Amino acid sequence: MTTTDLYRPTPAITLPGQRPPRRHAASRARRIAGYVTLALAAAALLLPFYWMVVASLKTNNDVFTIPIKWVPDPLVWRNYLDIWQRSDMTTWLGNTLLLSVVVTTLQVLTGSFAAYGFARVRFPGRNLLFLAYIGTIAVPWQSYMIPQFILMSKLHLSNTLWSIIAIQAFGAFGVFLMKQFYETIPEELSESARVDGLTEFGIYRRIMLPLSRPALASLALITFVTTWNDYVGPLIYLRSPELRTIQLGLNTFISQYNAEYALIMTGSVLSVLPVAVIFLLGQRYFVEGIATTGLKG
Amino acid sequence: MKRTMPAAIAAATALALVLAGCGGEDEPTDPNAPVTITLAGWSLSTTPEFKTLADGFHATHPNVTVELKEYDTTNYDTQMTADLAAGTAPDVYVMKNLKNFYTYQNGGQLLDVSSATSGLSGVSSVAAYQVDGKAYAVPYRQDSWVLFYNKDLFAKAKVNPPDGSWTWDDYATAAKALTTGLKVAGAKATGTYQHVFQSTVQGFALAQTPDADLLSGDFSYLKPYYQRSLDLQAAGAQPTFGTANTNKLTYQAQFGKQQSAMLLMGTWYIATLLKQRTTGDADTFEWGIAPAPQFDKSTTGTSATPVTFGDPTGLGINPKASKAKQDAAKQFLTYVASEDAGKALAGIGITPAQVTDAVTQTLFGLQGVPQDDLSRFAYAKHTIKPENPVSKHTAGLQNLLNETHSAILSDSTPLDKAITDAQARAKNEVLNQ
Amino acid sequence: MATMLRTRPRHRRLVVRNTVAGWTFILPNFIGFAALTLIPVVVLFYMAFTNWNVFGVADWVGTANFRRMWNDASFWTALRNTLYYTVFHIPLTMAAALGLALLLNRKLRGVAFFRTVAFFPYITSIVAIAVVWNQLFSPEYGPVNAFLRGLGADNPPGWTTSADWSMPAVIIVGTWRYMGYYMLLFLAGLQTIPAQLYEAAQIDGATPWQRFVNVTLPGLRHTTFFVTVMLTIESFKVFDLILVMTDGGPGQSTLVLSQYIYQKGFEENQFGYASAISIVLFAICFGITVIQFMVNKRRNS
Repeated sequence: MTTTDLYRPTPAITLPGQRPPRRHAASRARRIAGYVTLALAAAALLLPFYWMVVASLKTNNDVFTIPIKWVPDPLVWRNYLDIWQRSDMTTWLGNTLLLSVVVTTLQVLTGSFAAYGFARVRFPGRNLLFLAYIGTIAVPWQSYMIPQFILMSKLHLSNTLWSIIAIQAFGAFGVFLMKQFYETIPEELSESARVDGLTEFGIYRRIMLPLSRPALASLALITFVTTWNDYVGPLIYLRSPELRTIQLGLNTFISQYNAEYALIMTGSVLSVLPVAVIFLLGQRYFVEGIATTGLKG
Repeated sequence: MKRTMPAAIAAATALALVLAGCGGEDEPTDPNAPVTITLAGWSLSTTPEFKTLADGFHATHPNVTVELKEYDTTNYDTQMTADLAAGTAPDVYVMKNLKNFYTYQNGGQLLDVSSATSGLSGVSSVAAYQVDGKAYAVPYRQDSWVLFYNKDLFAKAKVNPPDGSWTWDDYATAAKALTTGLKVAGAKATGTYQHVFQSTVQGFALAQTPDADLLSGDFSYLKPYYQRSLDLQAAGAQPTFGTANTNKLTYQAQFGKQQSAMLLMGTWYIATLLKQRTTGDADTFEWGIAPAPQFDKSTTGTSATPVTFGDPTGLGINPKASKAKQDAAKQFLTYVASEDAGKALAGIGITPAQVTDAVTQTLFGLQGVPQDDLSRFAYAKHTIKPENPVSKHTAGLQNLLNETHSAILSDSTPLDKAITDAQARAKNEVLNQ
Repeated sequence: MATMLRTRPRHRRLVVRNTVAGWTFILPNFIGFAALTLIPVVVLFYMAFTNWNVFGVADWVGTANFRRMWNDASFWTALRNTLYYTVFHIPLTMAAALGLALLLNRKLRGVAFFRTVAFFPYITSIVAIAVVWNQLFSPEYGPVNAFLRGLGADNPPGWTTSADWSMPAVIIVGTWRYMGYYMLLFLAGLQTIPAQLYEAAQIDGATPWQRFVNVTLPGLRHTTFFVTVMLTIESFKVFDLILVMTDGGPGQSTLVLSQYIYQKGFEENQFGYASAISIVLFAICFGITVIQFMVNKRRNS
């Protein structure tokens, strides 16, 4: 991969019409080489997922073998039937989806809202408060989860889905992320809006939010995936079988002296697919110029 | 200072006070009034023992209903710790091993249940849960480590199967002979399989070596046991620790799919193997169990009593349960260690706390259990020493010995140095606390 | 961290108005944050000075936990390993994530697919990741060593089965897993760079490298800062990946602070000591973050 390939960040400079014709063949060869490289890289990135799929098509005691078997023989489709019949997959998926959607919505709303206060309003103690936000990210959760759990139990929130919403939705991550992006938006934009009589809320709603769509998209995607795949949070807070999330549910296939790895991998494949679809839909917000077009003029 | 205290700190102090102490409440008691007690369990759909105990007890005590609360299997103790700390734990909960029993008992999370153990003098593992003469839990199962072996593969390799007279040297010789014999016969199975657990080496070394004491901080007793494991993996008679670890080998597949002719494992594997044979996860072959190989000849032979190890699994009562529930729970605890409960557990392939003739009869009546005399002997007769002596230092010592285990078997650290390091760490990091 | 307090009344009114406005924005998030995160964290700070056993006992022991840490060889090992991981994980992940983002920020057939693929390591079950990578690294049977032998290495590394190579193995997998995650953030950041800047640079005859250094990097400043801070903190807190890959082994070769905290707390029931180690971990992360903030501030002005 040449430097030209790597550091051509926006399509604005790669308009085909601007190319001299004699470079056409070379550029085509490079393009093909690029695709081959991408395809190889994709294979390396997908290998564990491929293994998950293969494992889900094996019998349990064939999952771990030496050497590794990359092709299931015989093909065992039964796992995909069994997992729906033998477990509450539907409930698990439903709970996980509910949690992910609610947490993502709350995190994006409150996070982007608070970030505006940190990025654009100057008031005493602001930076100190912001450092407190960042500081809590630096504390490992497993060390304060017991005090937090006791607190939630006193509030009668443990063993309800509310507990997961409460601990996930108000994190410092979203605040920090959104603040950084607001700061890339020129101050003059909000100044002129202020002159036009827009309130602070109006500026947030009419200017900042539309201009930070890529950032909102990445915050939403990351929050969604993190909530979807969270294991320790639900593990600590949820007990009732009807509240289980997908990650908790899959762990019920592990018993004291045995584990049904084939079924676990079947469930993992099924749980990755919705996330992949969401990502595929969400990534289209990372296209050229959403933010920059607004800056023209 | 007080007046400027920020709200967060005030709230935190309040919480800290809450954390520092909680009390239970009492209700009037009537022994025959209907009462429901909750019992912690895990993987309820694949672990029938909790329901077996609950139903068995309800049959004789119709006024008491035992309701099961399901916990995560792998993180049971994390969840239980959180629940106990917040006061949301069930009335009766399980001690998976003696290491955690100490934590709960020392943390004041177990009720004195001495009155429930008075009729259980025949159950030797009751003593494991006694602290200062008082009992804080009652055992319901007592697994012990034995040698599983594949009779078909022994025949194929033309090696004499175990006869109860084996010391560890006999076992090592057989493992090597099996590997060679199987190769000649065209099978690629190894002579034996040693799972990655630290117990597979340390449990035996601690139980069998005269005067070995975990809490002494002198771990030289481990050396001969590790030396043999290192020899066996160097000779190719068992998959190396590295291979087993990196390939996440499961002992169920190694033995059940005939990849190895022998397996040292706890008696819990009997139920798993029986089940996997019916589901097709394991092959169908002739198998048997033999006593674990011994330290020396003094405990071998069917007229002697072989020494092995295993922690009991017990039930304890949450002190925050109401008086009525505590009383019902104590009756339940007396039941779980009884012969009746034992027979019910043996009926689902589980080794109960009290192995009587009737229990052995029941277990060996199950479909697929080997019928030879040595298997019966191995199952019924042995001295079982605890893997985790009850002490404040046990968890810390076992953690550091687990690190030592992987350092030695991965050939990262030479045996002598690893043991010296472990002894130094035990002295400086654990025993001085 | 200069406050905006001024003496003149007009300014004071402004300060009051701004404070009200600022808090209005922050409050919805702050209520949840303060109640559920800040309070437990403050409790943790208190517990670091006690012999807390989680079940009610929490007697004040002063700095005893910190003095014990000073003499605890395992703590230092864990700290050393954490630094080892961090020092390599941060630059590697940063470079990989930025490279991926630049590569995938173009009109390209199937770019949506490739972006999703790059994000896949982050959404794949961590158990599957541990299994596959461990098998790839398997000294005798793994493809990685087969490849190295093909290249002529007589004695390829033992990777996760060797005390010397387990950390490099974990670092590789850590980078592989998280680069897609940070790529996402860089992708979002790249959208904030006005296209006109590239056009202007193009007209000035800047080479691709010059465009990268003079347009892309400065334009990504805010994103890079965010990524650096998050990556630093997350590297110092690395836990689940190590747990499933090596469980800290062989020996203590991949024991990291987060895992040590879990061991001391949940396995050995010394929550007071575990809290004290958390405070140290926090202090290191926070110290570095504050330095990053100050450097960033100076660079911005």
